[in-house]
Amino acid sequence: MAQQPTCTCSSTTGPAGPIRIIFPCAGQANTGQLTNLAAIQLTEEGYGNIACVALLAIGAEGLRANAKKADEVVILDGCPMLCAKKIAAEQGIIPGQHIIVTELGIVKAGSRDYTDADIEIVVSAAWEGSGRTEKLERNGKKPGQGGCGCGDSCGGSC
Amino acid sequence: MVTIEVLGTGCANCKRQMSNVEAAVKQLGITGDIVKVDDIAQIMERGVMMLPAIIIDGDLKISGRVADVPEIKKFLAGGT
Repeated sequence: MAQQPTCTCSSTTGPAGPIRIIFPCAGQANTGQLTNLAAIQLTEEGYGNIACVALLAIGAEGLRANAKKADEVVILDGCPMLCAKKIAAEQGIIPGQHIIVTELGIVKAGSRDYTDADIEIVVSAAWEGSGRTEKLERNGKKPGQGGCGCGDSCGGSC
Repeated sequence: MVTIEVLGTGCANCKRQMSNVEAAVKQLGITGDIVKVDDIAQIMERGVMMLPAIIIDGDLKISGRVADVPEIKKFLAGGT
């Protein structure tokens, strides 16, 4: 019998897909909580793997190394405070995709109420490629892996 | 009119692929015939072994992962 086509849905990233680490800001407001829920759903759908931004903040060496090894770091920030992006920057991590929930039409509110539709908005934005840098889009690699041959000593500037 | 075939068996990745194709067509404002191909025999006829996949006007553009919207827009604009 002929070999049947294989679907990448059974894999966490797919054989040809990039290895992604997802850092949600996980802030206390509705938008921050949404980043966490969206990151969990994205992990379950095989987009990437959620990681703890608090652990990154304390400079966990293993996590920082994994983030640098990943093909793409995805940062989900709830609001323009950009806490997760700033934490990552402190550790020398530059996102290949950065999504800000409030820029998706979701208002940061006093309550922590959310709907499944709100989660879907954030998850869809990630799959659609929102917030992806031009550089990653061109060569499929995160900044610092752009073929400059510097071994990331440029810190992602090339 | 461009014909875009989205090959997949109906799993989460394949649904995301379809959604991204629809978004790309909408953003470009083009008229596209988007065809969902979920029959395994039809998929095999096209010689595709990794899903999800996108075929545009008979040319296999990507297989084995979900393409994002900018990438699909490039395909539709004639890129590879």
